[in-house]
Amino acid sequence: MIVSGKRFTKGYSFHHFEGAPEERLVESGVPSEVVIPLQQGFGDEVSATIKKGDTVKAGQIIGAGEDTVSTPVHSTVNGTVEDFRVLSYLQGDTNAVVIRSDGSADWQLVDDGGAWTELSEEALERRLYLSGVTSLGRSGIPTRFGSSIIGPEDVEHIIIQGIGTDVFNTTFSVLFENDGVRRLAEGVKVLKSIMPKAAVHITFDKSDMLLIKQVDEAMSGIDGLRSYPLKARFPQECDEVIIPTILNRPYPYGYLPAHLGIIVLNVQAVMHVFEAASENKPLIDRVVALCGRGFKENRYTSLRVGCQIQYVQDLVKEEMDVRFVFNNLLTGFTCTDMTLPLDRTCNSITALPERQFGGFMNFASPGFKNDSHTKTFVASFIPFEKSLDTNLHGEERPCIFCGYCEDVCPVGIIPHLIYHNVERDKVEEHLAAYRIFNCMDCNLCTYVCPSKIPVASYVREGKDKLREMGIDESTVILPDFQLKGIEMSNATDEDTD
Amino acid sequence: MKNIDLKGTYDRIVRIRLLKNFEIITDTIGGILFGPSKVTPGAPHIVDSIEIKRFMSAAIIALIPSTAAAIYFWGFAAIKIIIVSYVAGGITEVLFAFIRKKEIEEGFLVTGLIFPLTLPPSTPLWVVAVGVIFGTIFGKELFGGTGRNIFNPALVGRIFITIGFPEIMTTSWIAPLSDTITSATPLVVYKSSQVMPPFLDLLLGTTAGSMGETFRVGIILGGLFLMFIRITNWRIPIVYLLTVFVMSLLGNTILPAKIAPPAFQLLSGGLLFGAMFMATDPVTSPFTKTGKVVFGILAGIFTILIRAFSGFTEGVMFSIVLMNGFTPLIDHIVVSSKYRLEKNER
Repeated sequence: MIVSGKRFTKGYSFHHFEGAPEERLVESGVPSEVVIPLQQGFGDEVSATIKKGDTVKAGQIIGAGEDTVSTPVHSTVNGTVEDFRVLSYLQGDTNAVVIRSDGSADWQLVDDGGAWTELSEEALERRLYLSGVTSLGRSGIPTRFGSSIIGPEDVEHIIIQGIGTDVFNTTFSVLFENDGVRRLAEGVKVLKSIMPKAAVHITFDKSDMLLIKQVDEAMSGIDGLRSYPLKARFPQECDEVIIPTILNRPYPYGYLPAHLGIIVLNVQAVMHVFEAASENKPLIDRVVALCGRGFKENRYTSLRVGCQIQYVQDLVKEEMDVRFVFNNLLTGFTCTDMTLPLDRTCNSITALPERQFGGFMNFASPGFKNDSHTKTFVASFIPFEKSLDTNLHGEERPCIFCGYCEDVCPVGIIPHLIYHNVERDKVEEHLAAYRIFNCMDCNLCTYVCPSKIPVASYVREGKDKLREMGIDESTVILPDFQLKGIEMSNATDEDTD
Repeated sequence: MKNIDLKGTYDRIVRIRLLKNFEIITDTIGGILFGPSKVTPGAPHIVDSIEIKRFMSAAIIALIPSTAAAIYFWGFAAIKIIIVSYVAGGITEVLFAFIRKKEIEEGFLVTGLIFPLTLPPSTPLWVVAVGVIFGTIFGKELFGGTGRNIFNPALVGRIFITIGFPEIMTTSWIAPLSDTITSATPLVVYKSSQVMPPFLDLLLGTTAGSMGETFRVGIILGGLFLMFIRITNWRIPIVYLLTVFVMSLLGNTILPAKIAPPAFQLLSGGLLFGAMFMATDPVTSPFTKTGKVVFGILAGIFTILIRAFSGFTEGVMFSIVLMNGFTPLIDHIVVSSKYRLEKNER
């Protein structure tokens, strides 16, 4: 059933930038070396089950944690274990396994069972768990093997995000070519069969009604499925925003969707579920969007998990100084070490031009390619593609109370109010009343600030200081909610997908 | 590439020892010419292209119609007043930048233009200088500079000279496109004899008044432009003007001898100029949306009351400055009640 009329009005609409990927998928070969982090997606770090010098197959489990909330990790190439190293990575320091590939492209099956429809519930869950897909989503896919903080029977809603609200609006509709709609529908059926009580919700970009109708038709057999055509507005992909938008319920900021009995997955994750269940395929590769003017070609590419950034470095324009960013340009991780790998959760890599020089008399230029919350640039009125770079576009100045940060804040904070308090070192309990803990670090306030103040960093600083004083989400947010699995979980709030 | 070389040349020039002492000035010029050479330190990796220089430039652009009309109506006299305002205020600003060892801030660009536009066209130049220096020092710098001031600096200067030099400020009016000195602005005429000029004259600016306030078509266009490009918020000017309209409608039916009818109220004096360009100053007006509405309503009420019942004929600048003083209180009440209310709801 298509449900229209759901709207999210705060936030910021990014659209029409240079460097958005074309809807074209290019396979790339097997890298000669992969680095597999032992913590990927949701869950604790697993311990390695192989030694240096071991021969491994693509799809073979190389790390598992029996008693922890985690999902196994695989080798993604056929080859030998070369080394272990520590990475400073997305979620902090993590151990990783370096594997040298023999160049062959085949992989081994997850298990030797038959078609997924024949399997018992437990065997199906085991297959998903062993394939690695249960670590996807911000709080994992629950199974009886401890892949999430709740069990499959606790899940009330599954939300599938088909909307791309990042800077380049990467919707991954390339995944829907070649029978993708059917694969998505099958994936949803797999999820439904391990979480029978859950209602399924799918979001799509409003501009692609044809796709919405196709998907809605393909899934007409699934009970209680709803599709939502939405207008893309950053940061709608965040659980904190999408759950209130479509389910009309308040979000316990700082906690995981699983605490509400909700699982949020993106389209690619559901496709992986389908592949795992139906094709018995372990999670070893990933479709990644190559965005940003720095790449010679902007397109989607299929890469092995653990593939190092230097592998895509050849695709970058020569003589261009670029910054590599994993995932969203507003929240993403800067990759300075070219040997860092992409993990299971990576959706896009952006090669963003570094620009030291602001431009001659830039403040007075017409601005044919400048993006702004204000309409002071000609680009707001013409359909040219806007350009992106790392320049600050202005000098830091005192706050003038323009209120742009409040305009865009997706969670109803007045960011400049918190900034003034933190800056004057007035970090006390009243900041919690100003809902500082609603902040989910989307960084939009810093983005729109004309005075170039890093507002979001001040908000983070305020949160950290409050935590030191013993005021945190558990005292501010938690009392208003009945959350599931709260006694089991701890400190797993930083996961992303 | 050419630009980068220019910047390199500039950087080499400012490294000359003699210029070292004037780093604040050379940095400011460098900033204006070449923009920042800084990049984002991390997430967010990209930022909005708007900057304070452009923000303030947009306000200057919106003031072009009023400024051009002032120059058209009063010629060289208007140009002289504007130049004196910029020079005297600019020197004050630079001195404070040296004292504070910070870069010169752009806010003065707007203050330095708004202030002369609020003056009668034959104001002596030394009074202009005194006013702008007083406004810059006591309206802004003593509070810590742009962003920390409570009162609109242009209005602080204007009020200082209004009270300090009452004879000059009430007899310096000149009818547009003539040399005749008159003491009769439309508001003064109405107060003494309840006679109103044709509204078309008021709109096109052919009545006596402060330099920037008479060409009202230009003010409306400039004000709408600022709202449209999101530099100012519509709430303060629209609510302010609506309140004046409603209050004078009511007042005129009850006390026609004291309170002028709404259309005349809206089109006379500095109301439009004040509502569009001065009440909207983000620093000195409330940042909360409800606060902006409250600000507009109270400013409207005070304007009507001062115009009708005080010894002054014009109440716009007093009511805006009065409301500037109330701004922190309004915001405080709105913010605390907002967060308390929502706490109770849950």
